[in-house]
Amino acid sequence: MSTNQSPPIIEVSDLRKSFGDTAAVDDLSFTVEAGSILGLLGPNGAGKTTTIKMLTTLLSIDGGSASVAGFDVATQPRMIRQAIGLAGQAAAVDDKLTARENLDLFGRLYHIPADQRKQRTEELIERFDLTEFADRPAGTYSGGQRRRLDVVASLIVDPPALFLDEPTTGLDPRSRAEIWNAIRSLASQGTAVVLTTQYLDEADQLSDDIIVIDRGRVVGEGTAAELKSSLERDVLEVTVAEAGTRDRAAGLLDGSEVVAIDETTLQLPVNRPADSLAALRRVQDAGIEIADFQLRKPTLDDVFLALTGEPTS
Amino acid sequence: MTTATLPSATLTEPGLDTRLRWAFDDTITMTRRDLIRTARQPEMWTFAVTMGAFFLLLFYYVFGGAIGAGTGVDYIQFLVPGVLVITALNGAQQTGNSLAVDLSEGVVDRLRSLPMNQGAVLTGRTIADTLRNTLTLVVVAVLGYLLGFRFSGFGAAVGGVLLAVGLGFSFSWISAAIAAKVRNVEMVGMLSMFWLFPLLFASSAFTPTAQMPGWLQAFADNQPISVVADAIRALGDGTDASGLVLGSILWIVGLTAAFGWLSARLYRKNA
Repeated sequence: MSTNQSPPIIEVSDLRKSFGDTAAVDDLSFTVEAGSILGLLGPNGAGKTTTIKMLTTLLSIDGGSASVAGFDVATQPRMIRQAIGLAGQAAAVDDKLTARENLDLFGRLYHIPADQRKQRTEELIERFDLTEFADRPAGTYSGGQRRRLDVVASLIVDPPALFLDEPTTGLDPRSRAEIWNAIRSLASQGTAVVLTTQYLDEADQLSDDIIVIDRGRVVGEGTAAELKSSLERDVLEVTVAEAGTRDRAAGLLDGSEVVAIDETTLQLPVNRPADSLAALRRVQDAGIEIADFQLRKPTLDDVFLALTGEPTS
Repeated sequence: MTTATLPSATLTEPGLDTRLRWAFDDTITMTRRDLIRTARQPEMWTFAVTMGAFFLLLFYYVFGGAIGAGTGVDYIQFLVPGVLVITALNGAQQTGNSLAVDLSEGVVDRLRSLPMNQGAVLTGRTIADTLRNTLTLVVVAVLGYLLGFRFSGFGAAVGGVLLAVGLGFSFSWISAAIAAKVRNVEMVGMLSMFWLFPLLFASSAFTPTAQMPGWLQAFADNQPISVVADAIRALGDGTDASGLVLGSILWIVGLTAAFGWLSARLYRKNA
């Protein structure tokens, strides 16, 4: 286990990447300590995958610097590759090989000696509960099993840094919980984890620190609690009965901070509960039928909305 | 369970000797992986292995009489070397298809993040495909023997099959280069038809080149498919094969070197 004096495992400073004229990642900076989990949260196209690709040597960096386990991403790619595990967005396990064979394949490609490879494979199968399907080809797995093997395969060397690109996208709740447990267990062993996600609850549940990115830029960062408390105001959510009246209601609710969540639902921050009464009355007086409304404490979703101006998927 | 430790102390920049050993080990690992994949898809490899035999029977019974009578050659002696070459090229196309699948499914991104020799992804694949191709070619040679085809001796037989295997290997690299460039399974299939078919028909694989117009004949006689097919024919008939065998080896080595370099470059650049 690392101590507090250790330098961060992952250090990223002013990282930049452009594709043509579009800045995919713009001045991104963060550090991840041993044993902690950083959540990169953002909508599709925010630059999450691009960031992961740069840190795992799959993409060159255009500016800034990044180091993993003390090695420079730009100048020591060979060293970085010995020190990281990566589970990308597409599950990259071989569907014709069994879990045991897949783990062995990765072990070979990390050049782990045969006896250690075998021992480590058995250790991982047991620890991450793969026994049930360890000798079936991966092509027969459920999405969750496949993904679990994919994440576990990146642990064959016990890497100091692990990168997970949307590890639970498309999974059912039970599989998600299993992957979450695996990730928590890893971090508790001292691995520094960077995970990207579109799911706020995932970032909320797993991450020690969260960076919200949108269009390649950092729009917010802190712990989940800090991000939530940054919105001191309560949230009023109003659902109108007729979709056609939504925009008129938005005008009457007042303030430039009204955001449309869907065809009939609007949301806005309010300073005092009493303000919401006045706002609702204005809508009602204009003859617009209100189907539902609620006043609540902000969630991470609201933080995201306030930071990016778009509701999450 | 061991705890994760900062590895900076234990990890070192691999020296040339380590990297050469890794290149060798990783090539074996990837070849093994591709062979296991092939073995687990019996519907694919049985089809691939019998493909050559199917070509041979089709040509022998459908076109055999007509072409044999028209050209006045001993058709089975002419046909089997041609089918060996066609079969080798057909098998080589599989390299591009498989590689395009790996490239499009994110497998390659994962492999690129590993400390492995990156070229092993390509060499492992071409070697595995060549081993499978060898089996296919032996089946063709044996069936050819049963139909009356004869090599001039055992050494000639081994040499003849090896030339076909070598041609397949070098064409695997062409196929790999195309896949590394376009990375789409359908496109790889279409592009292969586009260049391989004209090359195959403008060769001595199917018919003697004597009836072709002069300009075409000059091309057809010297292109790799014809040179290898004619070399195998010479090994069958027992005529002087040395010039043709040397030409074949030069083509095989040259194509492998050129397209091996090109596919490695495209793979690195586009991955």
